[in-house]
Amino acid sequence: MSVPILLPALGEIYTQRSGILNLGLEGMMLMGAFGGFIGVYFSHNLWVGLFLAMAVGLLFSLIMAFLSITVKANQVIAGTALTILGTGLSTFLYRALLGIKKLPPQVETFQALNFPLLSDLPVLGPILFNHNALVYLTLILVVVTSVILEKTTFGLKVRAVGEHPRAADSKGINVQLIRYICVAIGGIYAGLGGAFLSIGFMNTFLDQMVAGRGFIAVAVVIFARWNPYRALGAALLFGGANALQLRLQAMGVAIPHQFLLALPYVLTVLVLISVSKKAEFPAAYTIPYSRAER
Amino acid sequence: MLKIKTYLRGAFASLLPALLTIGLAFLVGALLLLLAGNDPLRAYQTLFRGAFGSAHRMAETLVKATPLMIMALGTSVAFKAQIWNIGGDGQFILGAIFAVFVALNFPLPAVLLLPLTFLAAFLGGALWGGLVGVLRAKFNANEVITTLMLNYVALYLLAWLVRGPMIDPKGHGFPQTPLIGEALRLPVLIPGTRLHFGLIIALLIIFAGYIFWRSTLGFTIELVGESEHVAQYSGIIVPKTIVLTMVISAGLAGVAGWSEVFGIHYRLLDDLAAGYGSLAIVVALLGDLKPFGIIISSFFFAALIVGGNTMQRLVGIPFSLVDVIQGLVIIFVISRVVYTQWRDRLAVKHFNRGVSDKSVSGSY
Repeated sequence: MSVPILLPALGEIYTQRSGILNLGLEGMMLMGAFGGFIGVYFSHNLWVGLFLAMAVGLLFSLIMAFLSITVKANQVIAGTALTILGTGLSTFLYRALLGIKKLPPQVETFQALNFPLLSDLPVLGPILFNHNALVYLTLILVVVTSVILEKTTFGLKVRAVGEHPRAADSKGINVQLIRYICVAIGGIYAGLGGAFLSIGFMNTFLDQMVAGRGFIAVAVVIFARWNPYRALGAALLFGGANALQLRLQAMGVAIPHQFLLALPYVLTVLVLISVSKKAEFPAAYTIPYSRAER
Repeated sequence: MLKIKTYLRGAFASLLPALLTIGLAFLVGALLLLLAGNDPLRAYQTLFRGAFGSAHRMAETLVKATPLMIMALGTSVAFKAQIWNIGGDGQFILGAIFAVFVALNFPLPAVLLLPLTFLAAFLGGALWGGLVGVLRAKFNANEVITTLMLNYVALYLLAWLVRGPMIDPKGHGFPQTPLIGEALRLPVLIPGTRLHFGLIIALLIIFAGYIFWRSTLGFTIELVGESEHVAQYSGIIVPKTIVLTMVISAGLAGVAGWSEVFGIHYRLLDDLAAGYGSLAIVVALLGDLKPFGIIISSFFFAALIVGGNTMQRLVGIPFSLVDVIQGLVIIFVISRVVYTQWRDRLAVKHFNRGVSDKSVSGSY
């Protein structure tokens, strides 16, 4: 449950660290969910679906990069545009390719991996060793993201571009290129996160399947103060809220189920309130960089 | 006479970029249609006929334009202050809930009750959005995310109300509230259509928008949008202005909910907002955040929706094409800058070569 929030959040950490706020995640995830589904539907190969989801996410994020970096447009508006476009385009293409069917077409999904012995451990076994490949990939990416951002030259450049683009530029760092790369990484991750919904968690594509997770991911990034490990914690919190909601519903608790459904969204607002005041945003956050202007 | 002529020319010149934007979006839409194996010409023809084909269809388009106008004006107030209120849907729903609650529970004569429901709708929206304003002003909580999250909360709140506390006892369990009293329903303007008095109110609100931007408060809001620092130095209390901006912006969204319920549905139902929120953003942007521009662009998008529905029904082209066109319109609106930059650079080049050029003006 946490993966479709954590994956896009990890990508968004790159994006935001470089000074771009990508609010188009929601649209990119929808396109990723669609791309993943279509890929599997036509090729009957899960990896083709995954690859297509990444490609679609990448392509979509390049529009965001173009608008926010080259055009220097307002990033909030650009992100909103991409979300609207992604919502429309994924549904349109889905209908165009598959037509209207009585039952939504289904595909095979990533199956839970089976680790001999480990999966049979009591308690820990089902919790830790009973997930599909995407879940483990995501956990690996948490570490990878942290290492790249903290320990490599590229990570240093990303942070420099986000904190002080002019200084970075004077050191010979290509500000625009770094930002393009970061937005692109964010798009690929968002595509993967979307694909997890359509071919990892469920086995079909629905218009409403992302349901605000893209925006929750943005909140998670702010909550985690741009740290991948804290993002893991935050994503688990949201995944937990979602799981709890389902569990309570199944148990038939006396709370109206609409309130339970609203829980993750209320939680996002509360979390945002508690962290926003002290969060130290990258200094060049949402500010386009131009050599000519001072 | 000359004055009118220059005014008209000015109006056309300011409309031209919007028309080009729309044209471009439709062109890309046509490509998509071709790729999907449809005939774009036939599709657009159906769309056009669906929106304007008869008096009835025209009326439907105006019916759709009514809440859009009110809501987009609200959106433009927030956007001018650089506050990105994306939560129109939620504020619309809250406005409708408050208004219907008042309509069903206060036994007053209609002359008193109707204005009261109007105020209740404004209040409902304003509270939902004002909360966001407070969170932004006090805690620096990003309003894009909070407004969006509150959209979902409002949706579930409505879903619960129409199934639980406010359900119509005689409704055979349908998720809806009882109908509001007949005296409270907005009168129909053209008999035989659904076009209601809300349109007049929407136009009045747009007119009020004109006056608003010339008022001190309007100026203050605009100044905060241009630079919070400058505003602060000129003695404006920025947090207060932010909250006030959100209250006005969201209150108008609430009023849009009022016009939709009291003019069309006469009760609360699921799916009341139906994406008006995101549409209002596109309308406000295409209208350049100006009241007159908003009238034109809300009419245009209303036509797109009504026509899009017909297109889906008659030619089987998915309605989501309309969403695609919306997204493209915003992208092209914000990309205009590139075009002007490019034109200016070209002009500078010409100028440096000693070629005189009178057409240099980067307005957007």
